[in-house]
Amino acid sequence: MTIQEQLLAEVGGHRGVGAADRLCQACVSVLDVDAAGISLVFDGTNTGTLGASGAPARMYDELQFTFGEGPCLDSVTQRAPVLVVDLTDRADLRWPAYRPAMLAHDIRGVYAMPIVVAGQYIGALDLFNAHPGSLGTDQLAGALVAAQLAELPFLDLMAGDLQAAITDPDSDAWAELNTLSRAEVSQATGMLVAQLEIQPAAALVRLRAHAYTTGRSATDVARDILDRRLHLEAH
Amino acid sequence: MTEIPRETRVLDAVVSLVDSLLDDFDVVDLLTSLTEHCARLLDVASAGLLLANPGRHLHLMAATSEQTRDLEVFQLQADQGPCLDCYATGQPVSVCDVQTETQRWPRFVAAATDAGFASVHAVPMRAAGTVLGALGLFGTRVGVLNDADLCVAQTLAHIACVAILQEHAPTPEIVLPHLQAAQSSRVVVEQAKGFLHERLGVSVEDAFALLRRYARTHDDHLTAVSRRLITEPDARSAILAAMRQMAASPS
Repeated sequence: MTIQEQLLAEVGGHRGVGAADRLCQACVSVLDVDAAGISLVFDGTNTGTLGASGAPARMYDELQFTFGEGPCLDSVTQRAPVLVVDLTDRADLRWPAYRPAMLAHDIRGVYAMPIVVAGQYIGALDLFNAHPGSLGTDQLAGALVAAQLAELPFLDLMAGDLQAAITDPDSDAWAELNTLSRAEVSQATGMLVAQLEIQPAAALVRLRAHAYTTGRSATDVARDILDRRLHLEAH
Repeated sequence: MTEIPRETRVLDAVVSLVDSLLDDFDVVDLLTSLTEHCARLLDVASAGLLLANPGRHLHLMAATSEQTRDLEVFQLQADQGPCLDCYATGQPVSVCDVQTETQRWPRFVAAATDAGFASVHAVPMRAAGTVLGALGLFGTRVGVLNDADLCVAQTLAHIACVAILQEHAPTPEIVLPHLQAAQSSRVVVEQAKGFLHERLGVSVEDAFALLRRYARTHDDHLTAVSRRLITEPDARSAILAAMRQMAASPS
């Protein structure tokens, strides 16, 4: 099984916000790290911890919001992974408050992968290790796959009225993510940004919600928007 | 024996150099092979590569032969010669017969003649608006570099720049995040096409052409323009106004 398949198997049929916790637990078991969390730094209103492998991970994640600094926040602003091999490294002058707080909890390795939804950097998947050291190639690849999967719980969180659809055990998380990044879906998302004056992630959520409620595919809905056969209203 | 067409030989050289860039490589080794390719492809006896340090002092990086090495080092010591001029101006220098340049570089011409060279040429290495160094080409016979030769030399010099700026072979740690970033760039560009389709009433194809034209005219990146358009409402009206003008005038 590929890492991607292993992660998906661990998340199972779980969808919605519950899937975020499962995804973090899957990171711990499949990627062999000590703890994992998913944080959101989207537009100020959705800031916080979306999922965690357990209570310690939730606390590690929340520390960055307490101090307003940390690798997860940096990975969103830098739009790139931030990989900290050892927090005890004195030459590294970043995060004067976050660093000692994490060390007090015996965490020395922190690895943050940005989560991207509709081209917007909206959060990060954070992996924590008690032992210092670099992530292996497979671990890094797996972490990036997990960060991509984290899009789904985010989209679910943004759309409160999708409970019926998102608990469908037959839904295929990976297939849906691939559909949502297709060119016509992105183009239609851009049209919705122009029409509704909203952010692209919110526009994608709107498009996806319409597809769910009408039982159509996201690409079909996107084509109708592009051809101006369908005009979505703001919520 | 049938001669392999030069086009093929040039492409072979480019492919082999770029192949090395994508794998584990040593910068000095790669630049040395590059000077060797230059000498073979351009009908010159030898080639050498001078690179400036951050203090803008030139140093020899690689050369095909000791003779060239000596001559390059001599230019540095004598503070004159085609590579130095090329570096100072950022323009190619081509001298088909060194004997005509005794006024310009008296000491260099004497040394070149002693070493058996009759023609010298240099092309600049440039990146990010900065001249990084120069690639020197030395012929034992009198002769010009034609436009095609110059183009080959310049291409190889560009590859040298990439090698120097990259230096370390890409690792999975570098490659994997780039894939994620590339994907999100593509998504943002597609969104911008849809945005313009809606706001300007143009087709998505025309929207893409407008985005590229706007980015080129404003010396900006396609993805950066797209991202501003899509996520920064305050930036929109200025970009849209410029694009409306562009759409009205033929390219």
